[in-house]
Amino acid sequence: MSLESRVTEIIVDKLGTRPEEVTPEAGFQTDLGADSLDLVELIMAFEDSFKLKISEEDSAKLRTVGDVISYLNQHGVSE
Amino acid sequence: MGTASMPDLVIGDLRINPPIIQGGMGVRVSAARLASAVSNEGALGVVASVGTGEEWPDRTLDCPARSYLSLRDMLQQVRSLTPNPFAVNIMCALNNYEDLVRAADEEEVAAIISGAGLPLRLPSLVKHRSIKLIPIVSSGRAADLICQSWQRRYSRLPDAFVVEGILAGGHLGFSVDDVVSAHKPLEAIVLEVLAVTGRYEREHGVSIPVIAAGGIFDGSDIARFLALGASGVQMGTRFVCTHECDASRQYKEAYLNCREEDILLIKSPLQLPIRVIRNSFVDRISRGEREEFRCAYHCLAPCEPDKAPYCIAQALVNAYRGHMEAGFATCGANAFRVNRIVSVHELVQELVGDTLLHLGHG
Repeated sequence: MSLESRVTEIIVDKLGTRPEEVTPEAGFQTDLGADSLDLVELIMAFEDSFKLKISEEDSAKLRTVGDVISYLNQHGVSE
Repeated sequence: MGTASMPDLVIGDLRINPPIIQGGMGVRVSAARLASAVSNEGALGVVASVGTGEEWPDRTLDCPARSYLSLRDMLQQVRSLTPNPFAVNIMCALNNYEDLVRAADEEEVAAIISGAGLPLRLPSLVKHRSIKLIPIVSSGRAADLICQSWQRRYSRLPDAFVVEGILAGGHLGFSVDDVVSAHKPLEAIVLEVLAVTGRYEREHGVSIPVIAAGGIFDGSDIARFLALGASGVQMGTRFVCTHECDASRQYKEAYLNCREEDILLIKSPLQLPIRVIRNSFVDRISRGEREEFRCAYHCLAPCEPDKAPYCIAQALVNAYRGHMEAGFATCGANAFRVNRIVSVHELVQELVGDTLLHLGHG
């Protein structure tokens, strides 16, 4: 499964959104209806699935789906 | 029977008796005088760290620098006024959060109580392991996420939780709709959080006491929450109407004079509901009028000063100083029930006696 599909799957699971809403431009809070608690939960789900640690500072910068994908790419996660 | 038969609130090596925490109230409503008076009664006094810089004499410093120095000074004052433990409340939404936590850390307060957001970074900012870290939450889910996040990042769990329901004062961790529809009583949220803490306590062999807050008014409330499984309560409103409360006489009179229908929810510039006592200032902003202000420094991270209809920091400082026409008092939902000003000693004695009566061994 591609990185994008794995990220999408996690988001759909945690936020209950439809997969087609999860575009790279989609903002978690602005477009996908996430609140601050959802964001914490999402970050931890990414950490678990991709076996990495995302610092509090970095988490604050991950505002869109695309931000997460580039973050994962930069941190050596390809698929 | 006296105080001795009230259960201790045990937070690690801290033993608080009676098991009452005085809620941190900004701006400067709970400063050194109130917090020390409460701690002298054996309960836990709490200094509110928000807006501490307002009274600092050296105006050449910027606001965050004044706030840091002023908070340290306030904490030193408390220490000179009581031998007992005391705490500080620091809101996560503050832009100078890290500075204020550093001041509390350097002064080695007994506990840091932190809400208005999730205090996810708090353990990394506090060097003294003896300082108890107590998040304020409004749901079992928030408690669970903080436990998970602290555990995986810092191998640490909260030392206790304050659970704040919809009847609380100050900023509420609910939407306006939730508060208006009274969607969940505090009892239900406390049980939710107890289920979460119970799980972590069993898994990690620790104790995470739960402290109920929001609308706790008298001994029957305290007894009810202790019976439900809470280890203590946090109360704000009752402590405002004490001689020792640091706010102006006018601020306290707003409590004494208000009727139930004067207690309103308005949206703060943070877009969160805040409970206030109605007055001419509140009427103006409720009508959508804009109160001119200059943003001294961007104090609250989520505030957008160019869009905010008024400056909440300024409004609260004005009220603290007694200029009620240019600000407002915030309060809990039961503020209309307070009808006299007493000493902290009298209040705590009354609460203890009344609680024991309701616990069935008075």
